[in-house]
Amino acid sequence: MAEIEVRDIRHVYDQGTPDETVAIERINLTLEDGTANALLGPSGCGKTTLLQIISGLLQPTEGQILIDGEDVTDKPPEERDIAQVFQFPVIYDSMDVYGNLAFPLRNGGVSENEIETRVQKIADLLELNDILHSSPSNLGPELNQLVALGRGIIRADTSAILFDEPMTDVEPARKLTIRRRVKEAQQEFGITALYVTHDQHEALTFAEQVAIMKDGNLVQYDTGKNLYQSPVNTFIGHFIGSPGMNLLDCTLTQHNGTPRAQLGPHQVPLASALEPHLDLTWTDCQIGIRPNSVTVQVADPHDESSYLPAVVDQVEMLGGFQIITATLTETSVEVKARVAHDFAIEEGASVWLSFPASDLQFFHEEQAVTA
Amino acid sequence: MKQRPWLFLLPALLLVSISAFIPLMTVMNYSQLTLLPGTQPYFSGLENFVAILQDPAFQGALGRQFLFSFLVLITEIPLGLGLALCMPKDGPGVGVSLVLLGIPLLIPWNVVGIIWRVFTRSDIGVLPEVFEWVGVTYNVSQFTGDAWWTVLAMDIWHWTPLVVLICYAGLQAIPEEYYMAAKIDRASPWKTFRYVTLPNLRGVLIIAVLLRLMDSFKIYAEPFVLTGGGPGNATTFLSTYTSRMAIGGFQMGRGAATSLIYFFIVILLSFVIYIIMLNLGQGAGEES
Repeated sequence: MAEIEVRDIRHVYDQGTPDETVAIERINLTLEDGTANALLGPSGCGKTTLLQIISGLLQPTEGQILIDGEDVTDKPPEERDIAQVFQFPVIYDSMDVYGNLAFPLRNGGVSENEIETRVQKIADLLELNDILHSSPSNLGPELNQLVALGRGIIRADTSAILFDEPMTDVEPARKLTIRRRVKEAQQEFGITALYVTHDQHEALTFAEQVAIMKDGNLVQYDTGKNLYQSPVNTFIGHFIGSPGMNLLDCTLTQHNGTPRAQLGPHQVPLASALEPHLDLTWTDCQIGIRPNSVTVQVADPHDESSYLPAVVDQVEMLGGFQIITATLTETSVEVKARVAHDFAIEEGASVWLSFPASDLQFFHEEQAVTA
Repeated sequence: MKQRPWLFLLPALLLVSISAFIPLMTVMNYSQLTLLPGTQPYFSGLENFVAILQDPAFQGALGRQFLFSFLVLITEIPLGLGLALCMPKDGPGVGVSLVLLGIPLLIPWNVVGIIWRVFTRSDIGVLPEVFEWVGVTYNVSQFTGDAWWTVLAMDIWHWTPLVVLICYAGLQAIPEEYYMAAKIDRASPWKTFRYVTLPNLRGVLIIAVLLRLMDSFKIYAEPFVLTGGGPGNATTFLSTYTSRMAIGGFQMGRGAATSLIYFFIVILLSFVIYIIMLNLGQGAGEES
C-alpha cells in the first residue's frame, strides 16, 4: 500500500521532430495511501499518458514519480509493484482462469500452496469461484476484465492499481456489478487506486477524489461534492453534472452596496461576501448556476429584484425529472433548469426564473471568484 | 426471381468446373482405366491403385516426401518465426527487410532451380569450389546426402521468407497492451513469448504450417532442374514420381491414380495438422 506522488511531470511525444506533441504540460498530484481516485477528462487530454508514466510503461520527459517518498522514475514497471487494468481485457488465453490469476505469483517464485490460498481469496472476493478452471476465451469481456483485475491485485506487494477505462468493452447493463466488485476489492485490500475514464458518472461513483485533466493540465483535484458545488473554473462547471452548469455572460454592476450581475436589461444579485473580490471594470465575466438550483415559476411572482422573465424553448422529459431550456427575454441568454417530472410546462410558455445567490458561482476570465 | 443468386454464381461455377471439377473428374475416370498409347482403354477397377501402392518406387518416393516435408516444416517454421521476431518493428529498417525478404519469393521455381544448378555444378559452380578449399568433396549428381541437403537448402532459402512475412504480420497485430501486462506481471522474456506471443500467433502459424506443408508436397522444379530426381532416385518425390509415371512412362491410368492418392494424402495430412494445432495449448488444465 502506498502513497503516489506525481511531481512536476511533463511529457512530450516525438520531441525534436515535426510531430512533436505536448501530452502533459506540467502536473503535480499526490494520491494518498489506500484511497480511490479517478482521473477524468475528455478524450485526448493526456489521461492515459499520465497513467502509463505512473506505471512505468512510459518514461516522462521531465519530472519524477515517487512511491512512498521513493523516487521510482527510472524503475521499470515490474519493479514498481503497480498493477494495471487495460481498456480491453488482457488475458493469457492459453491458460485457464486459475492459471491467469496465478501467473504473476508464479513469476515471482511464490510457492504453490501460497498461490492456491491467494487465488482462492481473490476468487471469493471477485466471485470467480465457478469459473476458475474455465478457459477465458469462453467467458465474456466482463468476466475477463475481472480476471485481469484479479491478476493485478493478487500479488501481496501490489501497492497501487491503475485502471485505464476498464469498462469500455463491458455491456452497460453489467457495468454496475463489475464496478461494485472492483470497488469492494479496492476497499478490502486498501489499495491506492487510480481509475481513468471520460465518464464522470463512473469517476464520481468509484472515487473519493477526482482529478480532472484538460489539454495536458490538471484542472482540479477534489471530492465529487466540491467539484459539483465549487468548480474552480467554467470548464469544470460545465464538464461535471448532466446537463452541466449554466454559464451566463454578464457584466458587473452595483445596487445599494451589493454586487449584481447584469444580463442584458436584467440584474441578478450576487452574494455580498463576494463584494471585496470583485472589480466593476471586469469585462469577461460569467455567472454559473446548476440547473437544479434554478427556481422556476409559471405565474408572474411580481418580484423583479429576484425573478427574471423568460420563454421556454424546449422541454425534455428525462424520466424522474424534466430539463427546461428557456431564453431570458430581450436577450439571447439560454438557461437550463431542472424541474420535477410532473411539473406542468409547455414549449413557448412564459416563465420566471430565480437564481438564489447562495448557489451562484461567479467566474472572471473563466476562473472562479470566491469569497 | 428466386433463381437470381444462381445467375450471379454462374460465372464462378463455370470457372471452377472448368479449372477444377472437370479435370478432377477426368482424373478419377482415368484412374480406373488401363490407358496405354496405341491400345484401346479398358476398365480395370482399382487395379491401378493396388499396383501403385505396391510399387517400391512409389513407397520410396512417399517416404522421401514425408521426410522432406517434415524437415521443411521443422526448419522453416522456427527459423521464419525467429527471423520475424528479430525484424525491426518500425523505422526505415522495416522497408529494407521486407524488400530483402521479398526477393526469393519473386523468383519463379524453375529459375530458382537454375540458379542453384549453376551454383552447384561440379565444373563451374561456386559451391563445390568452396567445399574443395575446406577439403570436402561436394557433388550433387553423385552423393545422395549432398543432393538432399542442397534441395532442402534451396527450399529453405526460397520459402522461409514467406513464413517470416506471415509471422511478422501476425506479430504486428498483437496489441501492445499484452506486452505491457506481461511486463507488469513480471513475466520473463521466455514466458512472455510462451504466453503472449505464441498463443496470439496460433492463427497465423496454422496458416504458415499448412501453406508450407502443401507447397512442400508439390516440390518438383528444384530437384528436377538440379539432378532430375537423382542421384538414382534420391531426390524423387511424389510429384516427380507422378509425372514420370504419366508423362515419362505413358501410363495415364497409373498417373491419374497416383494423383488421387497424392491428393488424398495432402488433404488428410493438412486436416490432421490443422486440428492438432487448433487445440494446441488451448484453455483449461494448464501446467505450471
